[in-house]
Amino acid sequence: MSAIEIIFMPMVLALVLSFFLRSKAYINKYISLFLFIYMLGFSVSLFKKLPDEGYLQLGSFLDVSRFDFVLTLQVDLLSTIMLTLTAVLLILVTLSSWSMPKQGMYFNLLIAFSGSIFGVFMSTNFLWFFIFWELTLVPMYFLIGIWGAQKRVYAAVKFFLYTHLASMLILLAFFLIYKESGVFDMSLVKESMLMSPVLIWWLLFLGFAVKMPIFPFHTWLPDAHVQAPAPISVLLAGVLLKMGAYAMIRMVIVMLPETSQQYAWVVLILGLISMFYAGFMAIYETHLKKMVAYSSISHMGLVVIALSTMSYSGLSAALYEMIGHAFIIAPLFLIAGFLHQKTGSWYMKDMGGIMQKAPYISAIFILAGLGALGLPSTMGFIGELSILISSIQNFGLWMALVALSSMLGAGYMIWTFRRVIYGEMSASVKKSNFIMHPIEFLALVIFAFFIIVFGLFPNLLFEYINPAFSQFELL
Amino acid sequence: MTNLLILLLLPFVGAISVFILGKLNSKLAFWGAELIGLTLFLITLKLYFDFSEPLNMPFTWFHLASLEIPFGIYVDELSLVMLLIATGLGFLDIHFAHDYMAKDPFKPRYYAKVLFFIGGMILLVSAKDMVSLFTGWELMGLASYLLISFWHEKKEPADAGMSAFLFTRFGDIFLFAAIGMLFYLTSSLDLLHLNTLASSGEIDKNMMYLISLFIFIAAIGKSGQFPLFPWLMRAMEGPTTVSALIHGAIMVNSGIYIVARLFDFYVAAQTLIVVAAFGAISAFIGATSALVQTELKKVLAYSTMSHLSLAFIGLGAGSLAAGMTHLVNHAVFKALLFLGAGAVMISASHVKNMWRFGAYSKKILFVSIAMAFGALSLSGLPPFSGFYSKDTIIATTLLNPQTKGLISTLTLIAGVLSVAYISRLWLLTFSGKNRDAALFAKVKKPSFFWIILPLLIMAVATFLMGFTQEGIAKLVSGSDFQKPHVEGLVFGLLSAITLIFIIIYYYYVKRLDITKKLQHKP
Repeated sequence: MSAIEIIFMPMVLALVLSFFLRSKAYINKYISLFLFIYMLGFSVSLFKKLPDEGYLQLGSFLDVSRFDFVLTLQVDLLSTIMLTLTAVLLILVTLSSWSMPKQGMYFNLLIAFSGSIFGVFMSTNFLWFFIFWELTLVPMYFLIGIWGAQKRVYAAVKFFLYTHLASMLILLAFFLIYKESGVFDMSLVKESMLMSPVLIWWLLFLGFAVKMPIFPFHTWLPDAHVQAPAPISVLLAGVLLKMGAYAMIRMVIVMLPETSQQYAWVVLILGLISMFYAGFMAIYETHLKKMVAYSSISHMGLVVIALSTMSYSGLSAALYEMIGHAFIIAPLFLIAGFLHQKTGSWYMKDMGGIMQKAPYISAIFILAGLGALGLPSTMGFIGELSILISSIQNFGLWMALVALSSMLGAGYMIWTFRRVIYGEMSASVKKSNFIMHPIEFLALVIFAFFIIVFGLFPNLLFEYINPAFSQFELL
Repeated sequence: MTNLLILLLLPFVGAISVFILGKLNSKLAFWGAELIGLTLFLITLKLYFDFSEPLNMPFTWFHLASLEIPFGIYVDELSLVMLLIATGLGFLDIHFAHDYMAKDPFKPRYYAKVLFFIGGMILLVSAKDMVSLFTGWELMGLASYLLISFWHEKKEPADAGMSAFLFTRFGDIFLFAAIGMLFYLTSSLDLLHLNTLASSGEIDKNMMYLISLFIFIAAIGKSGQFPLFPWLMRAMEGPTTVSALIHGAIMVNSGIYIVARLFDFYVAAQTLIVVAAFGAISAFIGATSALVQTELKKVLAYSTMSHLSLAFIGLGAGSLAAGMTHLVNHAVFKALLFLGAGAVMISASHVKNMWRFGAYSKKILFVSIAMAFGALSLSGLPPFSGFYSKDTIIATTLLNPQTKGLISTLTLIAGVLSVAYISRLWLLTFSGKNRDAALFAKVKKPSFFWIILPLLIMAVATFLMGFTQEGIAKLVSGSDFQKPHVEGLVFGLLSAITLIFIIIYYYYVKRLDITKKLQHKP
């Protein structure tokens, strides 16, 4: 299958499945699983084909040259890494949604989502990038709005409005770039072509900051995460947030290096605030899933700090932390959702003593939590260490205060273990059984495996991450 | 080299296999752990006897753009001594746990965690650079958290585990920050290289001062010193075998080890006086608090705090040998005392309150003898090992003009008070009259092979080590060591010890009625 088919086939497939195979909805999960495995194979095969430097052309399409509407698909190492991460997460999300109610439509939406997200990472043309970027919102909106918890509609609308408004800023920036430079492809734009790079920088930065999310544009995320079903929270944290970070690297730091350098302090300060504010919020929070959501924002704050260094080591650290965060936060969301399903409550006071009922699930929760607080031999530690080192290298010794993030992490995680996993059983824990569907459990085990393997052997990832950035010219 | 790699990996591989084996049959968990514990000790012994030059294994963990993050292994005499303590006492502790944990249904989990704990310490003391040291440091912290809250279904152990993790973690982030700062300043994380750089004055003085304080905060956290000590006492909620590991063989030693490992760095940064000052405060708090505890294990916990501070004071007064020999001696006699306390608790239906004991030497004679050896060594009576190092530390503080005065006075008080609390503990438990007849009647004899034997081995060790102190001092400091001499100190100390013992004997055995009246809650 060619690249264009990888993008559009899922969308068509989703339509076909929802209109023609409605009676056999149970096969949808198998279809999506096979599709995502195929997509993983496709992404992995790209690594072999990539040239040493620059882009691999995957063909152009829809050539309306008068309007520069060429759907040029091209990938470099950075986008290939993102594609692979996305495919892996999609597979694991499918596995962990195995016993989801109303399956047919759910997996159709997931399939449609997979096509658009691949489109985002493969297109460098602004227009197509933007179309795919917006298209990811549609399945997400329905996935949150239909399968979510009690206040799902509010959360879905808030999510849609926030990110959609941010997208307007991005669209405006794209038009400005086109007007000033006459180029409509992010791989061709140079900062020197632009007349008002500062304005464009701000538009793009704010637009992507909402998606990442960076303080103070983060308020949609706790709501969306809490209301979304657990596997969709994983997609939100693992793919959608990463999409924002990816766009930030590609279109803010690499495309506009001089302005980025000029405003690095803005990025840095917002990153620090995100990290600390969300960390303290996570300590304060008694709502289990909200705690995880704030922890997620806090870690994205670390990513932002790493990005603000605008250096090779900083970008590598940021990408590693992005991948690590995706794997670490996923089991936390999944188990939080599972516990809610079993105890009927989101609040930690109604839990406790889960270890006595479900020791293996608790062990995975603890492992992922230790990853979040940056314990050596998990991915979290490597991420934090490399961010600490790269930010000190770039901003000087005072950045040692990044180390405080691991204290915040310990604060909320260890306390959560105490309240949820350890201690005496609450009434609601006593009367419910904590049996998980084996395939959903398998997904958790795979996440745990990744957390440890890439934590012990980080070079497996850095081998690909480091060269991904060396092709860019940074200041 | 191969031996060293096995030593590093076996505990972790062993922990997993012990857990899986234990799920099949819970007896296998113990035997697997015992076998692995013994293997670790034998490998360490082999490394020790084959030792000719330091084993050096530099590795690169990962590349961050053009930066190389190292993960090296380095074993010299100092590491070997720590390894011998960790694996030797660790093995005896596993052996002891056979009876202590006999009735626990979660044996596989217990032994897996203990092996993991030992593995963390092995990695820590054989680390070549800050990153591998920090990895061992944190893995050990994790294992201690899991072991302290081993009985997680109860409130207190779960709370105690949490406080242990958070207190030590608070210190650890300073170590973590120090890694980043050192990498920026020196682009090297090699511990020995840092020492050389510091001595040659290539690092900015102020930064060195700050970084050495940061590392010291981490050491304070792990070693339970003022002001990060409350976790050490709450850690008593875990199984007693775990307390013995934490307080004797493994965990608390790491804080002193890191200061000893970076000793030249501390000398160059001129922060040793801070180390000594904090040590003196902790020594005083620990010794005085130990005097008024009612629980057997709590006395020992405060005593640990006080004795580790003595080791810190020894280092802080500028004598690497004094501090480290005391650490080694302390590890042995404190493990002995903790396991002895465990033996008492096994015999006395897991009662911890000393006021309910008394006259136990009639029932468990061997335990009382072994604990007497530990107590004598702790109080610093010749020829036991504790005498030598404690005396050396006090003499060193008196001879160093910086520490002479307040610090040496506090050290002296803490050193002498240790006689008071340990003889109080021993006398209340083993001599006098029994104060709880029902409990006394139920006291059962512990098994010789599983309980008494490890105690006797450690008792003999703490006695014999008194004659090999010069050797240990040479091993840990790398040079010949001359014991400092202060006129009349030994005589003064011995007479103070005797006097205090007589007072304690009078009030806690002869006239217990007076003392009981003073107690609010007997």
